[in-house]
Amino acid sequence: MYANILANMVLLPISAGLAMFIIPERYGRLAKFLSFIIALGLFAASIYVFNVKPAFWPGVDKPIFMADTLSSFIGLGIAFFALVTLTYSFAFIDKDIVKYNSYVLITLGSSLGACYSANFLGLLIFWGVLALALYLLVNMSGTSGAAKASEKALVIIGGTDALMLFGVGILWAATGSFSMDKTHLPLDSALSIIAYLSIASASLAKAGAMPFHSWLPDVAEEAKVPVTAYLPASLDKLLGIYLLARISLDIFAMNSISNTILLVIGSVTLIFAVTLALVQHDMKRLLGYHAVSQVGYMIIGIGTASPIGIAGALFHMLNNAIYKSCLFLTSGAVEQKTGSTDMSKLGGLSKYMPVTFAACLVSSLAISGIPPFNGFVSKWMIYQGIIESAKSSGPLWVIWLVAAMYGSALTIASFMKLLHSVFLGRPARNFGDVKDVGLLMAVPMAILALLSIIFGIFAFTIPLKLFIIPAAGSAVFYIGTWSPGAATMMLVAGLIIGLGIYAFMKSKSFRTTTTFIGGEEPSSMDRVSGTEFYDTLKDMKWLGRIYKKEDSGSFDIYVQTKNLISVFTGVLQRLHNGVLPTYIVWCLLGMIGLFIVLFMGKI
Amino acid sequence: MNIFGYLGLLLIFPGFLFTAFMGLMVGWVDRKVTARIQYRVGPPWYQNFFDIAKLFFIKETLIPAGVSRALFLGMPALGLAGATLVSTMVLVINASPKTGFIGDLIVIAYLLLIPPIAVMLGGFVSENSLASLGASREMKLMMSYELPFILAMTVPIIKCGYSIKLGEMISAQYVNGPVFASASGVIAFFVMMLCIQAKLGFVPFDMPEAETEIMAGPYIEYSGKALGIFKLQKAMLGFIIPVFMITLFFGGIKDDFSGFMKNIAEFAGILVIMIVIKNTNPRVRIDQAMGFFWKPVTAAAVIAVALAYFGK
Repeated sequence: MYANILANMVLLPISAGLAMFIIPERYGRLAKFLSFIIALGLFAASIYVFNVKPAFWPGVDKPIFMADTLSSFIGLGIAFFALVTLTYSFAFIDKDIVKYNSYVLITLGSSLGACYSANFLGLLIFWGVLALALYLLVNMSGTSGAAKASEKALVIIGGTDALMLFGVGILWAATGSFSMDKTHLPLDSALSIIAYLSIASASLAKAGAMPFHSWLPDVAEEAKVPVTAYLPASLDKLLGIYLLARISLDIFAMNSISNTILLVIGSVTLIFAVTLALVQHDMKRLLGYHAVSQVGYMIIGIGTASPIGIAGALFHMLNNAIYKSCLFLTSGAVEQKTGSTDMSKLGGLSKYMPVTFAACLVSSLAISGIPPFNGFVSKWMIYQGIIESAKSSGPLWVIWLVAAMYGSALTIASFMKLLHSVFLGRPARNFGDVKDVGLLMAVPMAILALLSIIFGIFAFTIPLKLFIIPAAGSAVFYIGTWSPGAATMMLVAGLIIGLGIYAFMKSKSFRTTTTFIGGEEPSSMDRVSGTEFYDTLKDMKWLGRIYKKEDSGSFDIYVQTKNLISVFTGVLQRLHNGVLPTYIVWCLLGMIGLFIVLFMGKI
Repeated sequence: MNIFGYLGLLLIFPGFLFTAFMGLMVGWVDRKVTARIQYRVGPPWYQNFFDIAKLFFIKETLIPAGVSRALFLGMPALGLAGATLVSTMVLVINASPKTGFIGDLIVIAYLLLIPPIAVMLGGFVSENSLASLGASREMKLMMSYELPFILAMTVPIIKCGYSIKLGEMISAQYVNGPVFASASGVIAFFVMMLCIQAKLGFVPFDMPEAETEIMAGPYIEYSGKALGIFKLQKAMLGFIIPVFMITLFFGGIKDDFSGFMKNIAEFAGILVIMIVIKNTNPRVRIDQAMGFFWKPVTAAAVIAVALAYFGK
């Protein structure tokens, strides 16, 4: 019975999700209840799988599902984030509840299926279902923007899915098997390189790396927030990086060229996406660009090919899923309570939504890599991976290091802007009637924010020891030092010094006054909304050009492919001019061609 | 080390009290030299202590109406905590390079971001337009100097055998001679000098504060104790960042007499460069500063890294 647990974990939610369609909409509560119970059960089961790792499905020579250290860890993450975002969505999704819950369950089952699949055929099937489920979930917003975004996502993910099929075919021709064993196929022939790149493109598209990133900001802006937090922010990251790690560590034997390709993709993704994030006006779209840029770190980490870099990449994947889904959830809270995520229409919300603000502040500091939060530890490990790889490779490591560290500085800039224009600064209007979110939404945000803190302060004793190092599969040697516990203690002590300075003074020396702007009435001064903070960048010659090109879709593989296809179809269209003699000429030319070929063969 | 050992290091020596004292003394040197350049007499040595004491004990602390008290007063304390931790780490590692105390070079580079973040958030909390404007300039400035700063930081890393532990870097320079003794080291040093000029908010890169224009920017609503804590934090950074530079480029603080004298000369040299730049340049616009750091300074840093790679 236990041995079947993996198959049950995959099939149960999918069949439950399909069966749920028969529940009428007015029994939405039943759908909520069912999906919650199933998600909870799967979370428990994934913990069991993580501890026991049942490796085989009896009665079959080759297992269909398997759980090794890597996939059981990813499966645990999938079940956890599904449970958290599902809880949040109970208070957020107010119509089409049955449909939503059924899609969520199908997604959950397929994600677990993709992660526990022991061979590529299973993976391909679940990957395809996931693309479809994302399309349906994004479309639930019902706007025309959502329709466009979901179409883009489906085309990019589906297209790379086809590439993966192609790559798997080559892999089968080379090894004669579809199973995801540790074959370590060397990347020495053109075919194996094509196979690697084809499968890698599917993983990059899923995770949202360049050049397959353009669906992610669109989806983040248009889809409902729980959907974004559920798929692009957490599950898609876990699965995309899982596949990349699987093919780079087990299936193919990486060499310096393929590593350099990964490092280039990672660095470009990181810097480019964060530069674009700086000038965004919409909170959700801004977060969407960061969801792209953070993938850069994970790809760089895997590209360093050093144990610490790979462990750092996996850790960053986990951390990113934690704080990024938390950030999306806070944006949902802001949207629900104020009706907008346009940053120029917000401001000063920290007073009215303290829990949301606290969660957003912690996650912002974590994503910016400020010690002692979790994002710092994983970035620190990736930097060490880069420096470690420097000893054995050329001078290019400086580029990766600078891209990674500088990307972090730009991330801080972007989140300072977000915090200012949404939660701090002068409010755009009177938000006096705004209350903080209820428990169902507050608890998921609080759990994720707390995890960011705990995984930072106890990084070595909890996440790295339990999840990351076993999943990465090799011992890690740190070339630097970092004692988060002692550092946190000393930061707190420093805070107490500061607060002590306030304390040993009489309290009557505190007084409240209005803000001072050169003696003018504060309201007479223009409000600084914060969205225009970095418009200086747009005025710079080359950066301005990049921003303009992005607006016109020059970096969007979807738009560019569409243009390319319309060039080809344009040529064909011109041939079809509807004039009979033209068609006859083409027929004759074709026949002449055929005759020449045939007679040449005879002679 | 037990918890009291840590707290002793943090609170008294070489942490909070010592660094604060040294920082205020550095502030006095700054004011005195500036005064001499301008043919003035300048303040006595205890002037900065009086200024801080005045803010702490005499002046009242004003809080803007309607802002969160905890955040408004908490941000100075957060900045102070960051500055104190960095000071303790740099000095303890210098005193005993073999102990990997708390963290390495990357940790310090990131902890150094806590004080400016605290200043910016403090400005944002105060809901003043000028504070927001100043903080946004601070952010843009940080964005521009971080690029050459990181590049310059890789030069000592390369020179010290790809080590990022500060203690190992000190030992490596003890064996191989200081990083500053090479062409790449000199260029990287001067690149970093410009970056810390901006990090410390000194003229010509004081546009986030710009008293004459946006009335101290993020600090505009701060007064009394809260402002005093911010000033103290800034003074501490004014002392510890030059020490950090000495650690990276001159092999840290030496324990013999002649070595220590050299350290003092190095420290004075860094201070004089900063003060001279400060007193001979007018404030530049933010876009000029960004162009400056992104173009010539970054180019110089790239040259330094290339030279270091070829062992020069």
